[in-house]
Amino acid sequence: MALRLRGLTKTFGAARVLRGVDLDVRAGEVHAFIGANGSGKSTTIKVLAGYHDADEARCEVAGEEVPLTSRAAKRHDGLRFVHQDLGQVPELSAVDNIALAHGYRRNRLGGIDWRAQRELTRRALERFGTRVDIDLPLATHSAVVRTELAISAAMHGWEPGSGVLVLDEPTAMLPPAQVERLFDVVRSVRDSGAAVLYVSHRLDEIFALADRVSVIRAGAVVATYDVADVTADELADVMVGEQGAAVRDVQKAATASEEVVLRATGLTGRTMRGIDLELRRGEVLGVAGLVGSGSEEVPYAVAGRLTGPHGGTVVLTDGGRAADIPLVPGNRIAEGVFLEASVAENLTVSSLSTVRRGPRLSARRERSVVRDWIQRLGISAPGADAPISTLSGGNQQKVVLARCLNRSPRILAMSEPTAGVDIATRARIYDLVAREAAAGLSVVVTSSDPQDLVALCSRVLVVRDGRVVAELVGDEVTETVIVRAIEGIRAA
Amino acid sequence: MSDLQTGPPPATAPPSTPSGTTTEPAPAEPARPWTRHLAFSNIGAVYVLIALVALFAIWVPQTFLTSATLYQVFNSTAVTALAALSVIIPLSARVFDLSIAGTITLTGVVATQLIVKHELGVPAAVAVAVLTGLMIGVLNAIIVVVLKIDSFIATMASGALLAAFTTMVTGDLDVTGVVLSQGFNEIGQTMVGGFTLPVVYVVVVTAVLWFLMQHTAFGRRMYATGFNREAARLAGVPTERLRFASLVISGGLAGLAGIVLAATLAAGSVTAGTPYLLGAFAAAFLGATQLQHGRFNAVGTIIAVLLLGTGVVGLGLAQAPTWSQDLFTGLVLIVALIATRYQRAGAANATVGH
Repeated sequence: MALRLRGLTKTFGAARVLRGVDLDVRAGEVHAFIGANGSGKSTTIKVLAGYHDADEARCEVAGEEVPLTSRAAKRHDGLRFVHQDLGQVPELSAVDNIALAHGYRRNRLGGIDWRAQRELTRRALERFGTRVDIDLPLATHSAVVRTELAISAAMHGWEPGSGVLVLDEPTAMLPPAQVERLFDVVRSVRDSGAAVLYVSHRLDEIFALADRVSVIRAGAVVATYDVADVTADELADVMVGEQGAAVRDVQKAATASEEVVLRATGLTGRTMRGIDLELRRGEVLGVAGLVGSGSEEVPYAVAGRLTGPHGGTVVLTDGGRAADIPLVPGNRIAEGVFLEASVAENLTVSSLSTVRRGPRLSARRERSVVRDWIQRLGISAPGADAPISTLSGGNQQKVVLARCLNRSPRILAMSEPTAGVDIATRARIYDLVAREAAAGLSVVVTSSDPQDLVALCSRVLVVRDGRVVAELVGDEVTETVIVRAIEGIRAA
Repeated sequence: MSDLQTGPPPATAPPSTPSGTTTEPAPAEPARPWTRHLAFSNIGAVYVLIALVALFAIWVPQTFLTSATLYQVFNSTAVTALAALSVIIPLSARVFDLSIAGTITLTGVVATQLIVKHELGVPAAVAVAVLTGLMIGVLNAIIVVVLKIDSFIATMASGALLAAFTTMVTGDLDVTGVVLSQGFNEIGQTMVGGFTLPVVYVVVVTAVLWFLMQHTAFGRRMYATGFNREAARLAGVPTERLRFASLVISGGLAGLAGIVLAATLAAGSVTAGTPYLLGAFAAAFLGATQLQHGRFNAVGTIIAVLLLGTGVVGLGLAQAPTWSQDLFTGLVLIVALIATRYQRAGAANATVGH
């Protein structure tokens, strides 16, 4: 057994994220590791990689005991990782990037032995038959070549037939045309006798590539199959499980009226390739898709906030401007909150005219508006003047939501409304959106978590490769159907 | 130090106020002790200033504790204060304007040149000079905001252009003339009860900037832009327009500083602005550690200017070697920045456990 993991547990604060993960990866196999958002998949990988320490765990790599309960730069030489961002410096050449990971060869004078270094780089790349100019900056190479280099660098120095290589969603950043070439690389790694732990959320890849597959759900591995003995439908069902039954009970918005409030046509962007949609009054419209499918750009496009190349038109039937539609951004820290500012300042920044008296901001008026929202959303905060950085992620997210709703909008755009949010806050957010929708608010929401869409939406558009490929209405909006649709598995 | 800071009161759920934004019943929030404003973490520089006064009072009692010293501190720091005030708005939006030294020099030269060579009246000359400052701001803004060049290097470059332009129009000779002492000098030299007129300008500009940054939507949005530009943009804040405006304002205020300096000297010096760059940024950064917990603000900046000015004047009176003044400025700035860093780290640690 190349990797044997038993009883891995991990808690963050009060949240028990991993409840005993067991995993066996054999030498010479590609072992897929799948799970929905928040299942504990990334946390498991981060513990293995040494970013987090485990509460408890027993782990063996090639029969040697590896302690996981402390944080470490490197766990074991036989356990190596290629992370999604590849950990490379794009401005530097292949030669330098390999040397950054493993050190430079020195000549007798203490300088860099460039000949030996280049020779070593060339041999590393030959492993997969990669032929590129090793002196050019990596940024000039294609994504698949950079991935090959990262894998090759990770395997540097291994004896044939040893080692466990962990690939964390290696195809997420690859254009579709280059995926097959990466598969060949992964197969040749397997054929060399090494073990591959292949983390992915794309079921089609698993059937193309993996020998076995383990499914993690709610912090524990719930099933391990030989890929030949399982169907995509079964995997989707196991991934979804019965989790989140509590949030499913949230009363969904009643059927929307027929009145169209927003019409978007031909939306294009970095990943969108022509998306049309109509939003009706009082409707919560979901947009589902995998990372990179184009779905994540939709709320930004609807709210007129896309930067970079983009096209298409957004028309509000009441004559308003798209740029006035409030947006709950997908990345709370980078795009949502002002960490250096107070709760009040974060909440009122989009609607300062509501707390103004002449040219002057009224501190009293502001405090009363903020206090009102703190109560309505149950925001747990030391006070309106407290720095927002003292709030938990879920409460910060509520402040961002309050910021949007304080503009009394008729249309709201949301991206990943519950990312990093605990289950109670989730339910509260669902409930709030449902009530606002009942009062006439129209919402466009995208989420990588199908649960969100099931809980919120009466209609879901499924986006694949930049286009809408399906529309799910009413009873069709279930997690299993959404997962199958975004993965492109035909409904049974 | 942080335990001296009286934090916000615990959340005591006030009685429910089911209200829109119009009703304003203001439920009683427990009164916060006004003494929290006096915490060292809030106005540490004032305490340092008091300690400094005490130190010099003991060191050079005959010369330091006189009203002349008081006036000298205020009068000698007025131009530095104007220069420092000119950079706080861009800094709030996280934009650097390093061209202010060049702007100060050029606007002084423009005003004096117009009066001496072109026999323009003082008001017209001053108007053209202020306009010059604003135009420099517009050009900076076009480079930084429209062409998207990093402000630090862009305004450093435009500062070099301004220096070149100044030398070109003056032939590297200071602009002097008797006519400058017949009206123009009054802008900088008129006395108002021991203080010079520039001190009054500083008071007015400080009051305006404090109101603008601390009490209007403009200021709030400017800070938001500086805290997190992407979040501000997505929240509907017109970040690029604000960044543009910030550079125009700093150009205009630096222009004012240049005119005041030229009037004080009654000459248009071709190197006048250079020494003010470091002093302005030192005061702005030190001032940001005062009152507003890390935000660039007008009153804090003035406290900083006075602290640094008192040190420099006191060291002069004590006949300490001249290098001690730079030593003092550098040390105070570094200590203040370190103190702020740890103050913030303490605040961040307070989040653990939520």
